[in-house]
Amino acid sequence: MRRLLLAAFAIACLAAPRAQAEDTLNPPHWQSEGVFGSYDKAALQRGFLVYQTVCAACHSANALHYRDLDGIGFSTEQIAALAAGVKLSTGPATLDDRFKNPYPDPAAAAAAFGGAIPPDLSSIAAARPAGTRYIFNLLTGYAPAPADLPLLPGHYYNTAFPGQQIAMPPPLKDNQVTYADGVTATSAQEASDVAAFLTWAATPNLDASREIGLRAVLFLTFLAFIATATKRKIWRETV
Amino acid sequence: MSSLSKPWLHIRLPVLESFRAYLHAPVLPREKPYLASVPVLIAGALVFQLLSGLVLSLFYNPADAFNSIQFIDRSVNYGWLIHAFHETGTTMIFGAVYLGLFRALWLRSYNAPGEIVWLLTLAKFLLLLLIGYLGYVLADGAVSYWSLANAIASAFSLSGPPGGIGVWFFGGPDGAGTLPRLAVFHAVLAVAIIGILLLHHAARRGAEPPVARGVSLHPYYTSQIFAAFVIYALIFAVLVFFAPHLGENPLNRGPANPLVLPSAVTPPWYLLPLSNTGHVFSSAWGAFFAVAARIALLAALPWLDRSAPGKPPGFRHKFLILLLALDVVLLCVWAMQPPSLIGGILLAVFTAYYFFHFIVLLPITTALEAR
Repeated sequence: MRRLLLAAFAIACLAAPRAQAEDTLNPPHWQSEGVFGSYDKAALQRGFLVYQTVCAACHSANALHYRDLDGIGFSTEQIAALAAGVKLSTGPATLDDRFKNPYPDPAAAAAAFGGAIPPDLSSIAAARPAGTRYIFNLLTGYAPAPADLPLLPGHYYNTAFPGQQIAMPPPLKDNQVTYADGVTATSAQEASDVAAFLTWAATPNLDASREIGLRAVLFLTFLAFIATATKRKIWRETV
Repeated sequence: MSSLSKPWLHIRLPVLESFRAYLHAPVLPREKPYLASVPVLIAGALVFQLLSGLVLSLFYNPADAFNSIQFIDRSVNYGWLIHAFHETGTTMIFGAVYLGLFRALWLRSYNAPGEIVWLLTLAKFLLLLLIGYLGYVLADGAVSYWSLANAIASAFSLSGPPGGIGVWFFGGPDGAGTLPRLAVFHAVLAVAIIGILLLHHAARRGAEPPVARGVSLHPYYTSQIFAAFVIYALIFAVLVFFAPHLGENPLNRGPANPLVLPSAVTPPWYLLPLSNTGHVFSSAWGAFFAVAARIALLAALPWLDRSAPGKPPGFRHKFLILLLALDVVLLCVWAMQPPSLIGGILLAVFTAYYFFHFIVLLPITTALEAR
């Protein structure tokens, strides 16, 4: 199966020659995009680090459990160690705990942010048109406000946000995290990685879906030829 | 054991004998095209839909709808796959339904003796729309939630029997009991539609012209239907695995918020070809009458069409049907756009043409053709 998937991937690569081999930032693109997309687990793990260090301070991701992280390539021991480092109100987190919610209830979150509750991030990449790109554009879209635009109090100018005024302060800076794989943590790289991670968080079954799908489509194509040939053969016998 | 030549089981269960006769009776016309098996495909797809729906209903909790679907997608073994089957299955069924409706208009198969077949096709279509909409509402995403809230508010704003029926159907204002109630309707109607399918099948058999030397269902049409099913399944697989959320408003993948109206409250795509005229009218009554009039016109089609029975549809008819299809597509496209002056004018023009086709063009051209 893997071989088939690799073959399909090789064909896709041949069909669309890529301008840059390794650079995923110029122009921004993600391995999960497109019909044959799949997840780049190294990017997902880097993205999780950004999520855990930066986003999780204010945002919840209630649909995710720590055990789900095996989907981004962590071993059970790694996840257990990771969860043990998270302090919940009931004690250290376990594999079956949901991701820690930074606020006990929405009212507390609203009180902390002047009414603007940080949205839950579990499905945010799916719940926005072109979600992966949107998250990247949002995180890299902070800019000085035009002189003629009066900003609301406690808001920031962001080119990607609908209405251009967002209550979230610019969350990412260069070298805010240190990546284990040695990738330079520019803020654009962090944004790209966390966009990849949130895409996985919203659609964790993309890889499985593509893998089963390729098998199903090949089988059904074959069966379609046999079925139509059989039909023709049977009908030929009528006079 | 048995003194007769019949198999043991057939004596004790005579219905098997009639099923065998049904399979092998050489009464069917020769060489029906693949497209003639669309109603069978719809029936098969509905059975598949019932099975995937059954699995989903084991885990779905209408009191905590959005989170229970997240649970199905993320924590139930292959729950995401069953969910995708159910969701994309709906898209496929409506694709087949609209193909069937177009084919009936194109071939004029609604004419005598096909009137009952046509009316049952319409009943099936409307019931499927209702079931589909209920399923869409059960997802309880940001858009579904507001769509339901708007539907309930419209039901309350109507007076008389339409409003009464609407309010009864939704069971009162949007609240804790609404989704559990609609979940029951979704499931019960999905089973009830099997009855319409059986009636439809019987009527189709009745409307077929008698044939002198026909062929049997098995192996001739079973092999054809099998091939059609495989092709249907192939398209289905491509959509399920490679474009799982085709035609869906992405905003609906987020949780509902009773305090935040999403930037676009869109109905599911399969509702648009019928509901688009409703966008011309701002009042609930206007939308209600527009949609009711469209259904009534479709139902009256066998009597609006004045063509001579048995005459194959001519060039003029085919051209007008293509124009009508284009009109409906344009209506859908413009109904999806945010409200604007030019959009409003175009919607009104396309709606007017739709009614003009059925009330004026169709009776006149068919009467001319019949002469």
